Amino acid sequence: MSRRTVRKLTNVVALGLSTVATAIGVVFLAAILWTLFKDGLAGFSRSLFTGMTPPPGSVGGGLLNAIYGSVVMTVLGTLIGAPVGMLAGTYLAEYGRNTRLAMVIRFINDVLLSAPSIIVGLFVYELVVVPMGHFSAISGAIALAIIAMPVVVRTTEDMLNLVPQGMKDASTALGAYPWRTITSIAYPAARSGMVTGLLLAVARISGESAPMIFTALNNQFWSTDLRAPMANLPMVIFQFALSPYGNWQQLAWSAALLITLTILLLSIIARVAVSRFSPGARKR
Amino acid sequence: MSSVEQGGVNLKPSGRVAGTSTSLAEVSISQTVGQLTVPDPVFSCRDVSVHYGSKQGVRDVSIDVGKRQVLAMIGPSGCGKSTFLRCLNRMNDTIAGARVTGKILLEGRDIHDRQLDVVQLRARVGMVFQKPNPFPKSIYDNVAYGPRLHGLARSRAQLDDIVCTSLQRAGLWDEVKDRLSQAGTGLSGGQQQRLCIARTIAVEPEVILMDEPCSALDPIATARIEDLIDELRASYAIVIVTHSMQQAARVSQRTAYFHLGSLVEVGETDRVFTNPRHKLTEDYITGRFG
Repeated sequence: MSRRTVRKLTNVVALGLSTVATAIGVVFLAAILWTLFKDGLAGFSRSLFTGMTPPPGSVGGGLLNAIYGSVVMTVLGTLIGAPVGMLAGTYLAEYGRNTRLAMVIRFINDVLLSAPSIIVGLFVYELVVVPMGHFSAISGAIALAIIAMPVVVRTTEDMLNLVPQGMKDASTALGAYPWRTITSIAYPAARSGMVTGLLLAVARISGESAPMIFTALNNQFWSTDLRAPMANLPMVIFQFALSPYGNWQQLAWSAALLITLTILLLSIIARVAVSRFSPGARKR
Repeated sequence: MSSVEQGGVNLKPSGRVAGTSTSLAEVSISQTVGQLTVPDPVFSCRDVSVHYGSKQGVRDVSIDVGKRQVLAMIGPSGCGKSTFLRCLNRMNDTIAGARVTGKILLEGRDIHDRQLDVVQLRARVGMVFQKPNPFPKSIYDNVAYGPRLHGLARSRAQLDDIVCTSLQRAGLWDEVKDRLSQAGTGLSGGQQQRLCIARTIAVEPEVILMDEPCSALDPIATARIEDLIDELRASYAIVIVTHSMQQAARVSQRTAYFHLGSLVEVGETDRVFTNPRHKLTEDYITGRFG
């Protein structure tokens, strides 16, 4: 075989392998989505969004309390975790770039990023739930914040590092203090990436069930009290999917589809928003 | 041309004088050949050295920068000319491990003086970089960035005026006046570099530093920038680092030749190119080396 034939063959094999690998990924994703839509959509009705999670053995019921709880705790968790994460990421990328402290923080953050979420739940259980004496929505939000934070730290740092140094230098050379350069130049330039990172964090925490077991637990009833246990979709899925009751299983499917659709919707909104407000599109 | 060549090395060699004196005559001058000083300089640099960690990037450079003239700094890559340039607006401050020693006086005031705000310094000493680096903002906001930073405009109309004037002086106004709200990054390379020049002159600096401003541009865009430099010379002192000796000969009145971190020779551009006094300078400009 000539060298050229060998090269051609190598190329065909490499192309074939990567195509197969992609196909495997896509097939599984499609299968999951197909099942989710098929079984989830069956439970979509008005009562899904108006009724409360039903007691065992009853008929009907909805997810209103769980939807509310999930939204509240995800939003709260993001509100607590994202600002801390963004500022820490900013420190790593801009202020502390080559310092030893930054290296240590980066390493610990990476560990936290891959830490099992149930350990975060256990941590918050010891820190918040035990002193309070009972499960609470606020402890759930704190656990979610701790899970969201390292994701935001990492993406913020990565995205700020992608902003060309020349651009930051230009701002510095015009007489801007670092903070001004970061807020006026680096953040806008890294905006789309940072928003994507934030969404990744939201997506990550909106589906977390393990930390909820130790923090917010669940609630069969409507509750807006942050100091009390609160219903949430992941716990409903966990509890209802394993139950023998048909209507509970149906609600679990619907809850799973609901979470997926919400994340999908959020991503679309964010993409549109990012492109709408991208530089140059603005009126002067 | 305000400086007059007096033939030979006009500065008497003197022993090293320990740091504290501000009188320039007493400060030692290194082995540079040519005319270091100019009357009424905007910058006076004496014995400026830059260390990166244990490495020395610039070695005892002493040179004056004259008002309303262009000083070109030439030399092979890594000779320290860009590093020296970045001393003049203290951009080396932003590099971890960089240490600048020696004296740099801007209009007679030490730029390393604790009381002198580095922000003020950079407002007076603007910089144009090698690669055009417009902000990801509109053309208008690019130019308005500096004036906003330093509070130069009291009203919208005044800011509009500054932006318009700066773009006109940078020779970009006619090309962009109808699209000021579009992204500065959407312009061509040459236009981007002129936008960066407009952004720099919008804060009314006294000196403009240019670090190989044309090395990323095509010949036509380069010619436009060179014409622009010639026009700007009427109002500003300009220090330009360039790899092109033709460019140095075209745009500058004085030329400084750097070699391995040292300033080898400086003098009137015509004189340096037609009658170099130092062997290294001659080798470089005749292309025998570098």
